Amino acid sequence: MVSARELRNRLRSFFRKDPLDRELEEELASHLRLAVDENIAHGMSAEEARRQALIRFGGVQQARERQREARGLPWLDEMMQDIRFATRQSARKPGFALVAILTLTLGIGANTAIFTLTHALLLSGLPVPDAGRLVRVVIHVRGGKREMNNVPLSLSMIEFVQRRADAFSGVFGWSVYDFVLKDNGVSRGRRGAVVSGNAFDVLGLHAAAGRLLSPADDQPGGGPDGWAAVISYRLWMDQYHGDPAVVGRHVTVTDHGVTIVGVAPEGFEGVIVAEHPDLYLPIEFSAALNDNEKQLHEGGMMWLTAFARLKPGVDREQAQAEVATLFPSMLDALLPPGIRHLPEVEHSTLDVDAARTGWSPLRMEYTKPLLLLQVLVGVVLLICCANLSGLFLARASARQQEFAIRGALGAGRRRLMRQLLVESMMLAVPGALLGVGLAWLAGPWMLRGIANPRAQVSLSTRPDFAVLAITAACACLCALLFGMAPAWAASRTNFETALRSTRSRISGGTALARRLFIPFQVALSLALVVVAALLGATVVHLRTEDSGFRMQNVIFYYADFGRLQQRGVDLLTLYRRIMMRMEEKPGVDAASVTDILPYYGWIDRDSFTAAADALHSKTMDADVSEIGAHYFAALGTRILAGRDLRNDDGDLHSCIVNERAAALYFPHGPVLGQTLHDVEHNLRTGTTTVRDCQIVGVVQNTKYDTVREAPPAIVYRPISKQMVVGLFFVIHARSLVEARAAYHSTMQELAPDSPETDPATFVQLFNDSAARDQLLSAMSGFFAVLALLLSGIGIYGLVAWNVSQRTTEIGVRMALGATRGRVFVMVLRQIAVLLATGLVAGGIASYFAAQSVHSFLYEIEAEDPRVFALAAGVLVVIGLAAAAIPARRAMRVEPMQALRAE
Amino acid sequence: MAESKLDLLQGTLDLMVLQTLAAMGSLHGYGIARRIEQVSGDEVLLNQGTIYASLVRLLQRGWISAEWGTSENNRKARFYSITADGRKQLAEDAKYWQRLSDVMGRVLSMESDGGE
Repeated sequence: MVSARELRNRLRSFFRKDPLDRELEEELASHLRLAVDENIAHGMSAEEARRQALIRFGGVQQARERQREARGLPWLDEMMQDIRFATRQSARKPGFALVAILTLTLGIGANTAIFTLTHALLLSGLPVPDAGRLVRVVIHVRGGKREMNNVPLSLSMIEFVQRRADAFSGVFGWSVYDFVLKDNGVSRGRRGAVVSGNAFDVLGLHAAAGRLLSPADDQPGGGPDGWAAVISYRLWMDQYHGDPAVVGRHVTVTDHGVTIVGVAPEGFEGVIVAEHPDLYLPIEFSAALNDNEKQLHEGGMMWLTAFARLKPGVDREQAQAEVATLFPSMLDALLPPGIRHLPEVEHSTLDVDAARTGWSPLRMEYTKPLLLLQVLVGVVLLICCANLSGLFLARASARQQEFAIRGALGAGRRRLMRQLLVESMMLAVPGALLGVGLAWLAGPWMLRGIANPRAQVSLSTRPDFAVLAITAACACLCALLFGMAPAWAASRTNFETALRSTRSRISGGTALARRLFIPFQVALSLALVVVAALLGATVVHLRTEDSGFRMQNVIFYYADFGRLQQRGVDLLTLYRRIMMRMEEKPGVDAASVTDILPYYGWIDRDSFTAAADALHSKTMDADVSEIGAHYFAALGTRILAGRDLRNDDGDLHSCIVNERAAALYFPHGPVLGQTLHDVEHNLRTGTTTVRDCQIVGVVQNTKYDTVREAPPAIVYRPISKQMVVGLFFVIHARSLVEARAAYHSTMQELAPDSPETDPATFVQLFNDSAARDQLLSAMSGFFAVLALLLSGIGIYGLVAWNVSQRTTEIGVRMALGATRGRVFVMVLRQIAVLLATGLVAGGIASYFAAQSVHSFLYEIEAEDPRVFALAAGVLVVIGLAAAAIPARRAMRVEPMQALRAE
Repeated sequence: MAESKLDLLQGTLDLMVLQTLAAMGSLHGYGIARRIEQVSGDEVLLNQGTIYASLVRLLQRGWISAEWGTSENNRKARFYSITADGRKQLAEDAKYWQRLSDVMGRVLSMESDGGE
């Protein structure tokens, strides 16, 4: 036990070495003088007196050392020595240190970058008290025709759970919502959320200023303060400079008068990860915006993410059990009978999922890819460590004599091992620091791979404390892993043998261990390359296949016509006029409208049949799109038979099908001129209506909602007066500039009152839809290149070391008549055996790796032999090339010189 | 195991130094070493140098204090004396040693009885 006083004194001693040493020297001298004096007094000669005094004293140097140990911090002293020594070592061979640090920078940097993303999206907990007790109440539809996960709830469902479930101390609904905040005459779009009145209360938050929302605010028409809004701490600082007077301020939010009642606490960014809301309003406010109060409570619109807090003493499983028993009665109470027993409903479950980290829809798409990337970078790190272990071992064997000398001078084996571990730490620490820097730079670039533009600006890519802790752990682990092998080898050094031999030798066991690093690296690299090749092929397929679209110079604009006076037929006429006017603009090739943005993930699906007795025939589903004339011209989709739709009322009962729909509904006969019946069951009223349309054209197959699907059957219908909200203009022009100009000038002429909207280019829509695949392919490709590079370095290092060890042997062989060519082959043969071993092991590893990424692949088999062969080929080429450089050096060995050196 | 044996030896020497200083008042390192040698006769073969590790340890624990002065034969030397804390510690340690040696004595004599 070391007391605080002693520790303080020891620390002080540590930093005052010189004066304390001087004092000790004086004291020892004085001791000897006193002893000599006494001996002389006993009648010894001066010389004998001094000799006896020294004998009685024991070793002077030992006494010094022991006193220093007793007074200071010996382990720290030794560590400083180790560090100084390691610095000198690195300075002597800067190339070695550089390669090692660079390797680690890449390995640790890649890990930090990926982990930053993983942490931000999946792991970081909400900044609310006792976040572990937060749960999400959610519907999953498993089994049945279509799996749907994480279905949101309707407000009435949330109210039902709130009323009936005992497991929760509170349940609230939350939805991301965009607002326009107008203050002092300045309008600006702001992200926000509409939340249940009790949301902040259930979360356990306290206002930074004013108050947070309460159930009294969440009433039709608003609460005591009218419509109440809570602003984010960030908005408070940025726009109101932290002025407390902001509380009570009247502003306009999306055309409605609103009172700011308070400021959310600092650091709170809502419960939907990667959304940074600046305004929180009650859910009722959204009903006022949409003018659908009645629908909010009675309608079945499922749009709210439901969160709840578990009561103390209730765990998630208990809550789950309770909610599951409530679910059937909830469905009975809330769903119309027509819907209640649909297969989708029968297969659905109401679940209680943990929500410590909040929730993000991004998780549905990015959880698996991120975990995959996390595994891939982990493998890269392993390869780094194997590589460094190899390098370190080579150096350790070159330093065997040094170890032997230090051992002979009294350094313990533990001390030697510690020295080596300190040396590895000294490379790992700068490697880790540089790695964090690299991750810092790479973060924003990586985020671009995530399609959601909101997430790009709002996900934190700056490594925070948790990430730095992981990085530090990574570095230590690496240092241990790659320091272990040489330390172990050093601890087994037989000092005497090593001292006697003129040339450093390494024991058989260590040489084997060292050689095993190569197959290990090769195997892991092969797996990485195979995975990267498969993912790369996926992206190539996605990019190059014929989608039925021409994407260049096509742009989409949302038609925000909600505030226009025109309705119904008038609006329909307006659309037609706009389309025609746009086409008259310079450079415009075709302009049209559609209700479905391709690749955007939206689906409109109806049931059709071609049979005359539509009501009693089996129907088949097809995707539906409502379009204007020239839609196919604008998107570059070929009309294979018949004609396009026309922009007039004559075509109201016409429709166009694609090849797949034609084959689906009319497998045997002609298509043009046939009638297709759209059978629609109204689930609310229980009645069935049939709408007929006559097929006037057949078009080429195209994709519909995602890039990954096989082209579905699609039925195109003309826009009608019933369906004139939520349409998009689509323009194809000679250039995007001309397309934009055409939109702006036409809108100014024909719909000056409607707000301008942001465009989306077709290429952008495609890229967003393929973003996950592109991210995976780019990252895994990068990691694979890294792995190849590292393996190359590893092989080069091993062969170079081998050649330097065998110079004499090579000299003897040459003196005995071996040709240079045979020496070259001999050196390469050894590496070829290691490569082959690695490839066999790697082949097995790759098979399993490929299987595990199966779900990410598109149009390529996980077992595709071409991929495996290509990956193996690449590794062989790199391996042999890396080995050839030192092998050529072996070829140039001069026999006489080599022999003389012995 | 080597660790605990060393601790015991260290403790032993520390205790001897404390007791010497308590009995003799202020003494320099050489004086302490000589005194311990004399008292223990030839039983303890002490390397005088080891006493300095013990002294610095006791100093840092605050059980003794040190001061440069002059010896009776006019040599400059560093004199140590026991502090109040040191006396307390000495009493505690002495009691512990006493108990330990009592127990050891009893245990060892029991063994020789049982051997008959």
